Amino acid sequence: MTIVKPIQIQVAQAVLEKWDMLGVHGRAEKLLQSLYAFTAEQKQMATWQIENARKEIAETRIMPGPTGESNELSNQGRGAFLCYSEIASDKANVGLVGQVFTALIAGNPVITVGPEGQQIMDYIAPFVPEGVIQNIAESAKDSLIEADDLAGVAVLCEPAQAMVLNKTLAAKSGLICQLVAETESEKLSTIAKPHYILRFVTERTVSNNTTAIGGNATLLELGSMND
Amino acid sequence: MFKAIEVLQPNFIQKPLNELWQLISPLYKADEESWLKELLPLAKPTETELASHTDAASKLIAEVRKDDDSMSMIDALLLEYSLDTKEGILLMCLAEALMRVPDKETADAFIKDRLSVADWASHAQNSDSFFVNASTWGLLLTGKIVTMDERQDGTPANLVNRMVNRVSEPVIRKAMNQAMKIMGHQFVLGRSIKEALSRGKSYRDKGYTYSFDMLGEAALTADDAQKYLRSYEQAVESVGKDTYNKGHRPTISIKLSALHPRYEVGNKERVMSELFDSVKGLIAKARALNVGITIDAEEADRLELSLHLFEKLYRDEVSQGWGLFGLVVQAYSKRALPVLAWLAALAKEQGDRIPVRLVKGAYWDSEIKLCQQRGIDGYPVYTRKEATDVSYLACAHFLLSEHTRANIFPQFASHNAHTIATISCLAKQLGAQNDEFEFQRLHGMGDALYNHLIKENDLCVRIYAPVGSHKDLLPYLVRRLLENGANSSFVHRLIDASYPIEDLVHHPVTTLESRQSLANPHINLPSKLFADRKNSFGPNIEIESDWRPFKAQIDTFMGQDTQWRAYPIVGGEKVETGQTHAIKSPYDHSQAVGEIDWADQTTVAKAIDLAQAAFPAWSARPASERADCLDKMADLMEENYPELMALCHREAGKTIQDSIDEVREAVDFCRYYAQQARSNFAEPHKYTDFLGQEKLAQLKGRGVFTCISPWNFPLAIFTGQVVAALVVGNTVVAKPAEQTSLIAVRAIELLHQAGVPGDVLHLLPGDGASVGAPLTNDKRIAGLAFTGSTGTAQLINRTLAARDVAPVPVIAETGGQNAMLIDSTSLPEQVVRDAVRSAFASAGQRCSALRVMFVQEDIADRVIPMIKGAMQEQSVGLPYLHSTDVGPVIDEKAQTMLLEHIEHMTKVGKLIAQTELPDLANKGTFVPPTAFEIDSIDQLTDEKFGPILHVVRYKARDLNKIIDTINQSGFGLTMGVHSRNETTCARIANRARVGNLYINRDQVGAVVGVQPFGGQGLSGTGPKAGGPHYLQRFATEQDL
Repeated sequence: MTIVKPIQIQVAQAVLEKWDMLGVHGRAEKLLQSLYAFTAEQKQMATWQIENARKEIAETRIMPGPTGESNELSNQGRGAFLCYSEIASDKANVGLVGQVFTALIAGNPVITVGPEGQQIMDYIAPFVPEGVIQNIAESAKDSLIEADDLAGVAVLCEPAQAMVLNKTLAAKSGLICQLVAETESEKLSTIAKPHYILRFVTERTVSNNTTAIGGNATLLELGSMND
Repeated sequence: MFKAIEVLQPNFIQKPLNELWQLISPLYKADEESWLKELLPLAKPTETELASHTDAASKLIAEVRKDDDSMSMIDALLLEYSLDTKEGILLMCLAEALMRVPDKETADAFIKDRLSVADWASHAQNSDSFFVNASTWGLLLTGKIVTMDERQDGTPANLVNRMVNRVSEPVIRKAMNQAMKIMGHQFVLGRSIKEALSRGKSYRDKGYTYSFDMLGEAALTADDAQKYLRSYEQAVESVGKDTYNKGHRPTISIKLSALHPRYEVGNKERVMSELFDSVKGLIAKARALNVGITIDAEEADRLELSLHLFEKLYRDEVSQGWGLFGLVVQAYSKRALPVLAWLAALAKEQGDRIPVRLVKGAYWDSEIKLCQQRGIDGYPVYTRKEATDVSYLACAHFLLSEHTRANIFPQFASHNAHTIATISCLAKQLGAQNDEFEFQRLHGMGDALYNHLIKENDLCVRIYAPVGSHKDLLPYLVRRLLENGANSSFVHRLIDASYPIEDLVHHPVTTLESRQSLANPHINLPSKLFADRKNSFGPNIEIESDWRPFKAQIDTFMGQDTQWRAYPIVGGEKVETGQTHAIKSPYDHSQAVGEIDWADQTTVAKAIDLAQAAFPAWSARPASERADCLDKMADLMEENYPELMALCHREAGKTIQDSIDEVREAVDFCRYYAQQARSNFAEPHKYTDFLGQEKLAQLKGRGVFTCISPWNFPLAIFTGQVVAALVVGNTVVAKPAEQTSLIAVRAIELLHQAGVPGDVLHLLPGDGASVGAPLTNDKRIAGLAFTGSTGTAQLINRTLAARDVAPVPVIAETGGQNAMLIDSTSLPEQVVRDAVRSAFASAGQRCSALRVMFVQEDIADRVIPMIKGAMQEQSVGLPYLHSTDVGPVIDEKAQTMLLEHIEHMTKVGKLIAQTELPDLANKGTFVPPTAFEIDSIDQLTDEKFGPILHVVRYKARDLNKIIDTINQSGFGLTMGVHSRNETTCARIANRARVGNLYINRDQVGAVVGVQPFGGQGLSGTGPKAGGPHYLQRFATEQDL
C-alpha cells in the first residue's frame, strides 16, 4: 500500500528546517510584523506568547558537566501543527490566535482550518516564509488529522470533543501525535500559562567533546589559575 | 598513608617488595592536601639551598636568553601561536588533521573552516623566526582568500589581496599541505631511524644522545600491534647498527598500548602472556644489539598493570643483569614516590639497575576529566602545576639519594630551567656524580637550555625524538601539545623575553605553600562537579585498592546461595498471589536468581484504589519533603551498591561498568529531580498574563501515575520515572519489565525506606496483558510514563485514549535507528573506538546504541578493516568478569529476533565481521556482535535492539542527502558525528532531527542533568529525562 501524505504536511515539512533555524528571536521579528491586523485582545495574546517564548525557550542552556566538553540543551519545533477551534466566540478566537502564535514561535509550521484560520493565515503569511502557515477547508480537516506525520494538534473544544479527538489521534500509526487541547475556552486557563509553550517544542542536546582534538583550554586555565 | 619522608632512610627499600607494593595503590586518589603535606618535606630546601637553587636557575635563564639562537622552531611557533589564542588552536587543529584527509573536497572545506575564523594578520612579522613568519604569511594569504570569498568582496583592498585572490583552491590546499609538512618536519626527527640518526648527528656532535620513539596511536587491532612491533624491531636493528662512537648510545622508547590491542586491566591475562611475549622478544633483540629499551608511561588506570608487566619482564632471564631495561614514571601521579621506592627495591633484590625517566606527565586533562565522568571520589594526579613540580623534586630527592642511585639510574626529563637547575644543585648536594644520572628533553624543545647545560657541565642529555611518517606522528604530537601546551608552561615563558626572570624562578614549594589550599579549589572533586547536588559515586575497577574491596562486597551476593524472593508491593505490604515465576540469569539459564509473584487483577485494583486515596495528602506535602525522600533514596542506593550491582549482573546480564553506570544513573536521577523539585515546585511562581494581570501559579501533581519501564535500564529508568512522578506530588503504580522485576522490588523497598509512604507507591510485577492493561485502561490514571518500543507506546496510548476521560500526559521514550556520520577529517582510531563502544557495549541493548554508521567512502577502506580488527578483540562472556566487553542479550525472544536479522543481513548485506562466542554461550542467550556493510539505511525497516552494526559508505558531496534520509526514517533519538570540521559538525547539528547529538565522542551514556536524554518523532514524546523540563510534564500548572 502506498501511503499518500497530504500536500499540506509535505509543504510544512519542507519549510520546517528553514523556519526552525531562524530561532525564537528571528521568528519573533517576523511574527511581530503581522500583529497590526489582529484585534487588541488577539494582539495582546500573540505578543504575550512571543515574549513568553523568548523567556522560556529562546536561550540555549549550557549544562554543567565534566571539563573539556560542552553540553547544550536547546529547543526545536516538533513539526506540522494543526490549529483550530471548535468553538465560535471572540474569546475562543483569541485562544486560537494564542495557539497559532505559540506553535509558530516554537518553530513549527502551522496549518489552520476554515474561515477563522484563513483570516489568521492571511494576516501572518506575508511576513513568514512560504508554507510556514497554510489553511485548509473544514472538509479537509479529518484527513489531515489522520495523517501519520502530523506532529500535533492544538485545539479549542469541549472536553467531550477532546476525548474523541484523542482517540482518533491515538489510533494512528507513526509518531505519537501531540494533542494540546484547551477545554476552557472562556478562561483560556491552559493557553495563557508560561509552560504551555513546552508542549510545542522538542528538546535537543548537543554534546561536543572538544578534548578529542585538544584545546581543553578551560581545564588548562583552571589548572594554572592563581587563588 | 605512609610517611613519605621515610623513603630517604636507606633501609626503606630493603623492606619486602610486597610490603612496598601495598603502598602504591591506596595513593591513587589520596586526599591531595594530606598527601602533599607528606611530600613537601622531601622537596623543601633550606634557606641556603633555596638561595643557591634560585641563583642557579636565574643564571641559567639569563644565559639562555643571551643566546640569539635560543629558540628552536617549535619554541618560536608556540611563542607566536600561543595555545590560548584562537589562531594557535586553529593552527594545531589544522596540523592535526589535514594530512590525513585523502579527498580534495573535504580538505578544501576543512582549510576554509579553520582559516576563515581567525585573525592571522595580527601575527604577521611578529616573530624573528623565518619559519614562523613564513607560516604566518601563508596563513594570512590563504586566510584572506577564504575570508574574501566568504564575504563575496569583489574589490580587494590592496595588491596582496588582488594577487592572492587569483589563487585557486588547489593552490591553497597544496600550500597548506606543504606548510603542514614543514611543521611535521620540525616535530618529527626523521621518517626512519636511519634518517633520524643522520639528522641527529649534529646534536650528537654537541654531546647529546637520543631515545627514539616510534609514536603513533594505540593499536586497536592485532594487525596494528604487529605492525608497531615490527617497526620497533626495525628501530632496534637500525640503532644497533649505529656506528657513531662518541658518547652514550641511543635507546628506544616503546609504548605498550601500541603493542597490544587490549592493554587494559580487564585483559590482564592476555597482557601478561601475549604482550609479555612481544616485549620479551623485543628486549632479547635489543639486548643482543645493546640498545636500551624504555617503557613509556600512559594513563593512570594502566599504571599498576604496567608495573606487574614490568616486574615480570625485568625478572625474566632476558633482562636479568642487563641494566638497560627501564620505564617512565610520571610525577603528577600521586603514586609516583611509592612506585619509585618499589622499583628501587625490585632492582636491589635482583641486583641490577633500572633506568627510570622521571617526567611530569602528559595526560593531565584527560585524567581529570575521566574521574569527573566516572564519579571517582578523588583524582590520581595533582590539581596544581606547582604540586606536580613539588612531587617531581621530592621524587628527584629520592632518586638522587645514595641508597637509590645504586639501584636506579635517574633520567630527568624537563624543560623547566628551575627544575633543571635545582636537580643539578641537588645532585651535587647528595654527592651524585655526573655519570650517575642524565637529563632528557623533547626534540625541538628546550634546545638553548640544554646546549648551555652541556657546554657548562659534562652531563648526558638525551633527546626524546619521534620517528615515523609525518602524517602519522604530527597528529599525535599536536594532540599532546594541545592538551598540555598552555601558555603558562615554562617553555613558553622562558623564551618570552618580556617575562621577568625573577617570576620564573619561584621555588614550587614556596609557591605551593603560599596558596590558601594545597589542592586547587578551582578544580572540584568529581563528587562536587555540580553546584546544586552531589554527583553519584563510582568505584574505579582498574585500580586494585578501589576495586578489590568493592568487588568482595558484590561477591557476597553472587553465589547461588543468595536468591531473592519477591512479591507485588501494595500499600507497603508484600502480596502473595501464587502466580510465581522463576528468574534465571540470561548468561546461564541454570543459574537461578530468585522468584517473583506476579500481580493479579485484584492486586492491581487495590493498588490503584490506595494510590488514588493517598493522592491528596501526598500532593499536599511540601515539595521539599518529597525531595528529601529522593535524596535519601539516592544515599540508600549507594549504601546498597553491591547488592544492586549483583542484581544487575545476575538478573539483567549487565557487565561490571554497565552495572556501575546503572546505579549511578539512578542515584543521579534522584538527586537531580529532588533539586529540580525544590527549585520549581516548592513555591508558587508569579507571572503576568496576556491581559497584563499579575497571577500566581503553582505546579502540582495530577493524581495516580502509571510508570512502565524496560529491562535494559532496570534500575535507572525504573527509578527515574517513579521518582519524577512522586516528587511533583503524584502517587505511583509501577510496572517493571517482567525480565527484571527483582531489582525493581529492591528499588521500591528502598523508596519506602527512604520515606515514601506505602500507600503512595505500589509495585505491580507482571506482563502487559495482566498488569499493563489494567494500569492503562483504568479511568483514574492521570498520566503515564513509558520507556520501551515504539509499537508498545502506540498501543498504550490507544488504551489510555479509549477511556472516557480527558486526555492525560503520556511521556514515552521509544526506540531509534541511530546513526553516526564520519567524514574524512576524523581520526580513524577514535572513530573505531567510539563506534565499537556505541554499537556493542551493553550488547547493543541501549536505546541510544549505534545502528547505522555512515563512513565517507574516501576513508572507508581504512576504517572498515579497523572495525573488523577491533571486533575480533572484543570479548563476549560472563558479564561479571572484568575481561568481558559484551554480555548476553536479555532473553530467548530477543536472541531469536536478532539471530534472524543476522541471517537475513547475511543474505542482503556484506558481512564485515562477527565476534566469536565463547563455549559457554549456549548456556544463556548470547548474540555475537556482528557488522554488515549495506547500501542504504532504507534496507532496514525497524530497530534491531542488539549488537548489530550496519555500515554505509557515502560520498562527501552527498552528506545532505544522507541527513535527509536519516530524518525521513522518522526516528530521531541519537546521532554521532566524527569530524574535525566545525562547519560540518554545525551543519549536521542544525539539520539532523534527533534528540541527542554527540560530536567527536561515542553516542551512549547520557548523564543526568548534563546530557538530558530523549528523542523526537518516532523516538519519543519528550520532555527529556534528566532535563529541566521533565518534571513539569508530570504536573499541572494551576492558578492560585
